[in-house]
Amino acid sequence: MKRTIKAMLACSAAMLGTAAAAETMTIGITQNNVGVDSYQTTYEKAFIEAADANPDVEAVVLDAGGDVARQIAQIEDLIQQEVDAIIIWPTNGEAVIPAVRKAKQAGIPVVITNSNIAEQGFDFVSSFSGPDNITQGARAAEIMCDKFKEMGTDTEAQIVQISGQPGYTTAIERAKGFEDRLPEVCPDVTLLESQPGDWNREKSQQVMEAFLVKYDDIDGVYAGDDNMGVGALNAAKAAGRAGDIIFVGATNFSVGYEAMEAGEYWGSIYQSPVDDAKAALQTAIDILGGKELPFLNYFDTPKITQDNMAEFDKPVF
Amino acid sequence: MSAMTRQGVAKLLARQGILVAFVLFMVVFAIANQRFLAIDNISGVIRSSAILGVMALGVTFVVIGGNLDLSVGSMMSFSTIVVLDLHDKLGPTLAIPAMFGLTLLLGAFIGVLVGYLKLNSLIVTLGMLSAIHGLTLTWSGGKNMDIADKEATWFSVFGQGDIVGIPVPILIFALLAGALSLVLGRTPFGRKVYAVGGNGVAATFSGVPRARVVFFTYLISAFCVATAGLIQASRSLGSQNTVGQGMELEVLAAVILGGASLLGGSGTVFKTVIGVLILGFIQNGLLLVGLEFYAQYIVTWIIIILAVWLDIAAKRGRLWSSIA
Amino acid sequence: MTKENLIKQGAIWAFIAVELIFFTVMGDILSVTSKSFMDFENMLLLLKQSAPIGIIALGMTIIMVNGNIDLSVGATFALSAVVLLDSFSWPFMAAIGDWAIPLAWFFALATGLILGAINGLIVWKTGVDAFIVTLGSMLGYRGLVFMYNGEQPTSHLNWTLVDFAELQFLGLHTATWFLLLTALGLWLLMTRTVHGRNAYAIGNNREAAVNAGIRVGPHFLINFMLIGFLAALSAVVFYSESGSVNPNDGTLYELWAITAVVLGGTKLTGGYGSIVSTLGGVIAIQLLRKGLGHIGADTETVNLVIGLILITVLFLDRQLNRQGKEELKT
Repeated sequence: MKRTIKAMLACSAAMLGTAAAAETMTIGITQNNVGVDSYQTTYEKAFIEAADANPDVEAVVLDAGGDVARQIAQIEDLIQQEVDAIIIWPTNGEAVIPAVRKAKQAGIPVVITNSNIAEQGFDFVSSFSGPDNITQGARAAEIMCDKFKEMGTDTEAQIVQISGQPGYTTAIERAKGFEDRLPEVCPDVTLLESQPGDWNREKSQQVMEAFLVKYDDIDGVYAGDDNMGVGALNAAKAAGRAGDIIFVGATNFSVGYEAMEAGEYWGSIYQSPVDDAKAALQTAIDILGGKELPFLNYFDTPKITQDNMAEFDKPVF
Repeated sequence: MSAMTRQGVAKLLARQGILVAFVLFMVVFAIANQRFLAIDNISGVIRSSAILGVMALGVTFVVIGGNLDLSVGSMMSFSTIVVLDLHDKLGPTLAIPAMFGLTLLLGAFIGVLVGYLKLNSLIVTLGMLSAIHGLTLTWSGGKNMDIADKEATWFSVFGQGDIVGIPVPILIFALLAGALSLVLGRTPFGRKVYAVGGNGVAATFSGVPRARVVFFTYLISAFCVATAGLIQASRSLGSQNTVGQGMELEVLAAVILGGASLLGGSGTVFKTVIGVLILGFIQNGLLLVGLEFYAQYIVTWIIIILAVWLDIAAKRGRLWSSIA
Repeated sequence: MTKENLIKQGAIWAFIAVELIFFTVMGDILSVTSKSFMDFENMLLLLKQSAPIGIIALGMTIIMVNGNIDLSVGATFALSAVVLLDSFSWPFMAAIGDWAIPLAWFFALATGLILGAINGLIVWKTGVDAFIVTLGSMLGYRGLVFMYNGEQPTSHLNWTLVDFAELQFLGLHTATWFLLLTALGLWLLMTRTVHGRNAYAIGNNREAAVNAGIRVGPHFLINFMLIGFLAALSAVVFYSESGSVNPNDGTLYELWAITAVVLGGTKLTGGYGSIVSTLGGVIAIQLLRKGLGHIGADTETVNLVIGLILITVLFLDRQLNRQGKEELKT
């Protein structure tokens, strides 16, 4: 009973906010793990900048440090502080669902950013803002396949995959997009093995070292992001086998861009954490402003290869 | 078997049990997979163990001195990030000593807390694990650190170079192990480390300056961490802020596997090197026979317990403990 | 209570009071929300959020009073959670509807008991130091977690279970009840039973305890089973509410639990420690995390501050204890 009244109050407060747009809105965000890689750090900086630039927005910025228990606690804290909207970058796409339901029950709209939660949670979420990771995976498969065709090796090429952190929706979707699309465009290319690199350059380097020990013939590597792709590239370089391997990544990092300039790394998907952060904040603002939004708000993430990289600015992260 | 040879075998096991286990391992894996003993595989394993190994050398001193160091992983991330950042700002010739200086400063800080202020080393280094991570993030602003021009620098020599066909990381590991082995085994300082760890109170009464000796064990540990950071940075010429995360426990496992007692006062540099190599070869061997990476966790668990158990069983002359 | 004990046990609560005042004042200045930090509901949440590490830390107290340590609790926590959530998908479990819930809890708690018993038996029978035994099983148990489901998360979202976990009985969350009941149970165990007295005796002087006829081996075994059970209980409480476990979950929990116990004044060498003070230590850590978030501290500051405060508290605690002792002498 008490809860419903509170929910109604929160709802009407949100609507009042709409009516008087000049009133400030408080938006809380809990991020996955800032400081673990450049993408997340750049995202945080861009988010704070965007919030500072908007006089109507006050932001509460929290970091879960990769710990799901801490993230759930932070969502509870934000609900308790009665923020107007919560943006979540989930550490685990399933474990946060009950916490998201609590926010919904408290009448606080939730925006998921960057990596979506599992489908059971869609009912409690206002909107998702981020990249379309299935398409990203599919595009990476096309980049890889096109290159093999150009080299005339698409009938016999053998590749390995280094995926992102297990259980993380982005990792799952990119791998799925890649694995589904590859046999459609290049049916004769074999995917030898997939191992997770946990979005970590060092871990990927070790995974790739193990692949190189295990397989004498590797023609291509697909990595779930460039940070991992460059780790794999380093391992191949150390083993003197980088020249035989086509590297394709995703989320073009500056190291990936540089490796492409050096001709060692073939291609990636261009995805900016600044766009990602701004889109998330804008989605939250639009929802509080009462705008009708589609459930899935993707921002575009085009293909980038050595051939067309001149059209893109070097990533800042 | 005569009583004497049996006694001889028992003695050998007691003294060199870890070495015997090591040889057994190599034989089993060599039979299971022919690639295991190939020269390039062996050198590959040692090369990738070098970073962990160099850190384990320093921690050996700390442990023999009767303390723990859980901050080495976090400190290694710090060294790596700092030297990569300074590489582009100061040039490699200045960046390396600057990084060593800063890392030694951290080591000295821990040394003062544990040595002079006599605070518990487990908690101090646990606190430093977190604090140094914060320091690293502050330094880098949380971003990955990369050397801008990776082709033009000679800095890559420490992680990727070869001298007379031997990878430089292996050379550094071997040289450092040799030097520290001499320090621990042949110098008055080395004897004091054993004395302090064996019985801290007695050592103080017999005139060994406990505080100063403990302080220096942490400086040595920091020096080794800085060296490991140098190899790490040079190996990939770019790094995340969390590159050393979790290594503190692997390092400790290697040191314990080498037979250093956590109560202090026992262990040698040579045995730690064996401990490091065992971990490295287990990892590689299990991978070669097609097992997943986590199989090594379970095998490591069993080996650590067996190694330490047999070691103390040999010392007390009975397999089972006397605990009622 | 002696003056010395008063100083020892009061220190952590004084620290908590300082934290509360600091974050309330700073929160008013720095926080963008209008809600005060010392809000009643926020304090209720604080207790609830302390539960996962708190339940483990309470158990760690008795282990450390013995002069032992358990580094494998994080892995035990994860493996119990995997069993808890996976058991729902076992065919006979799916057939019995919501009756599967208590059964799943039972399986998870049994897992914890067994893992604890393995540690305890090895410590008892081999005589290897508990630090090494549990450092080994920390790796080994984590390996088992990965073996169970590869690197994939194990998930089962059961809304009945979630609703139960989210209940607030007499204002307190389910997790808080488990935390407080565990604290009460262990407090009784430590202060009112022979087992508790023996725990202190063994930690103080093991030889003397043996001479006094205390059977140290079985005593250790019981305590390791207890902490295994509590690590599993912590997993049951937390994962009933969240429904999905990653194989790396619980990493570093052992270190946070030990930290909380030490902040509570328990000696690492054994022989002294108090359940109530450990509860204080747990709350102090959670308060620090929550407060730093409340005043908008960034990631690097949080890490830096938590690390340095840990060392400072250790230092102050020693100074206070030493002073207490000197005063007693005069």
